[in-house]
Amino acid sequence: MAAGAVTPIGGDLDAFWSGLVTGSDGITRIERFPVDDLRVGRGGEIKKLRAGRPPGPGCRASQLLFAAADDLVARAPLDAPAGRVAVVVGTALGGVEELEAALEPGGTLRQAAGALYDAPAHALARRLGARGPVLTVSTACASGATALGVAADLLREGAADRVVAGGYDVLCRFVMRGFDALRSLTRERVRPFDRRRSGLLLGEGAGLVLMAREADARGPRLGRLLGHASASDGSHLTAPAPDGRGLEFAVRAAMDEAGVAASDVDFVSAHGTATPLNDRVETEVLRRVLGPRATAIPMNSIKGGLGHTMGAAATLEAIMCLLASREGVVPHTVGLEERDPSCDLDYVAAAPRVARPRVSLSTSLGFGGCNAALVLEGAGA
Amino acid sequence: MRGAAVTGVGLLTGWGEGVAALPADARASAGGRRIVTLARPALAGERFRRATRECLLGVAAVEALLRDAGLARADVGGSDTALVYVTAAAYGASNLDFVRAGGKPGALHFPYTAPSAVPGEVAIEFGLTGAYTILIGGAAATLDALRQATRLLAGGRCRRALVLAVETFAECEALWTRARWLAGRPLVESAACALLVPADADTPLSPAPERSALETLARARAGETLACAPLVGLALARAAGPAGAVTLSGEWRGRRAALAIQAH
Repeated sequence: MAAGAVTPIGGDLDAFWSGLVTGSDGITRIERFPVDDLRVGRGGEIKKLRAGRPPGPGCRASQLLFAAADDLVARAPLDAPAGRVAVVVGTALGGVEELEAALEPGGTLRQAAGALYDAPAHALARRLGARGPVLTVSTACASGATALGVAADLLREGAADRVVAGGYDVLCRFVMRGFDALRSLTRERVRPFDRRRSGLLLGEGAGLVLMAREADARGPRLGRLLGHASASDGSHLTAPAPDGRGLEFAVRAAMDEAGVAASDVDFVSAHGTATPLNDRVETEVLRRVLGPRATAIPMNSIKGGLGHTMGAAATLEAIMCLLASREGVVPHTVGLEERDPSCDLDYVAAAPRVARPRVSLSTSLGFGGCNAALVLEGAGA
Repeated sequence: MRGAAVTGVGLLTGWGEGVAALPADARASAGGRRIVTLARPALAGERFRRATRECLLGVAAVEALLRDAGLARADVGGSDTALVYVTAAAYGASNLDFVRAGGKPGALHFPYTAPSAVPGEVAIEFGLTGAYTILIGGAAATLDALRQATRLLAGGRCRRALVLAVETFAECEALWTRARWLAGRPLVESAACALLVPADADTPLSPAPERSALETLARARAGETLACAPLVGLALARAAGPAGAVTLSGEWRGRRAALAIQAH
């Protein structure tokens, strides 16, 4: 695996990592569209998006993907025939921002076509010259994890030799209005696992990784995806199952596929949205699955600084796990100051912690009862 | 076990339920209509009061599958059943509705704008708590979905897999009719579902230079059903008799693929 990223705390992979370990706060007043009529007008907005090389056409969603792809390809060339390069990206929103434009007087066919959720993935494939399968995954806010899992499956069965995989989403009026209506957005700071936590804030970004089979990988590598799984709650459209059954199924299945036990897990990147229910359910699931060792494993959530980047979140978190292994540092949970007694695991808070995790577990949840888990091995350990 | 076999198919289209409702010539039967619509299913339950038409169609397609396969709800519930959902456009209606609602109470329908709303409602209704994937795209993506379901089965990650596709168009007719490639063929709203179980024979997916006979037949009889098209082909193959392995094909955004699968 190699990686590229564009986030509210850094416009490329290096800046993203630097922002994580310095505890950068990417949450600002949103400027790109009107928010005065919303309860909450803040989020993880990327203020300056680098023009691509060459600047690509298309919507902001595509531009985010292009920026992450440019960063990725500068670090790791695709190095395979075009027909053997696949693209698998996850998104919660796709090109939905184009729908509003398409409905305006004079809206174009291009904008209407761009409103389809798989349009940005195909734009990315064209930009990369990738001519293998192009898949769009939309398991809501777990999309960025499911996409990596599907990509691994494509490699395993020989459907491609390289896969550019990851997730993205834009911060747009459509999604801000939706979460505002649900009263899910906090007017305060995002505080994962804090007793004062009162909700999430949204962010935007893109994270991409270049994946290859172990035997075919060339050059420096960030790490390996050892196991993945996804599962449905079958419980509620917007809230996690109170017993966390889908997440538990996904975590156990991913660990089983990876062949790791609780004693092997060195670090957990939690979904950690800072909603009261999510953080409690996630804590209980991790305690059940990891057993007595749960309290000894460092965990974090990076959504306090980035906001919840939806389809990008799980990929960015997976990348963070691998960078933590390479750099020997676990970023802290921005916003966590007063621990919630019901969230009693070892959340890294206040400052980064010196540690070099070999095996990391990353968890994700999303609307529609979507759950996903990844087990990753860093190359640095 | 390397592959998958189909043990049931549920099919609802703008023409009616099942293969028997399909006309011989969809284009002629459309009589100039650009879109052949499917009515909102009348499903009982307070839970469905706010659910969108596409969600209810997903539920109704699974119910049609259970009738086809002679199964009870309990036969598919639980964590042993994977759910793989695919659509090119079924989120369009809820997205459009949400955009047009502005700041009005319709904004509370936001969760239904997500593509995951349809499989989410299906999972709740049938108690599906196993492996779960959602793909976006047309017919070629449905072949990816069938292949993904096969991987889940072959990898022991489930004992059976539901592959569900739903397509609705009516609410977005003004947008769809801007697309010239659709001129002259009716868009037919559909919801289709297949139940897969492990099989010895592989279920290979490969690039395809041309349409399979089933794709041609499905398009002629059902019209343009986007992600539902391969499942329409599967239903036609099963209706024709114990066919064994059949080749499904489909195209989306310039990529044409083919998948061989045990239809019975």
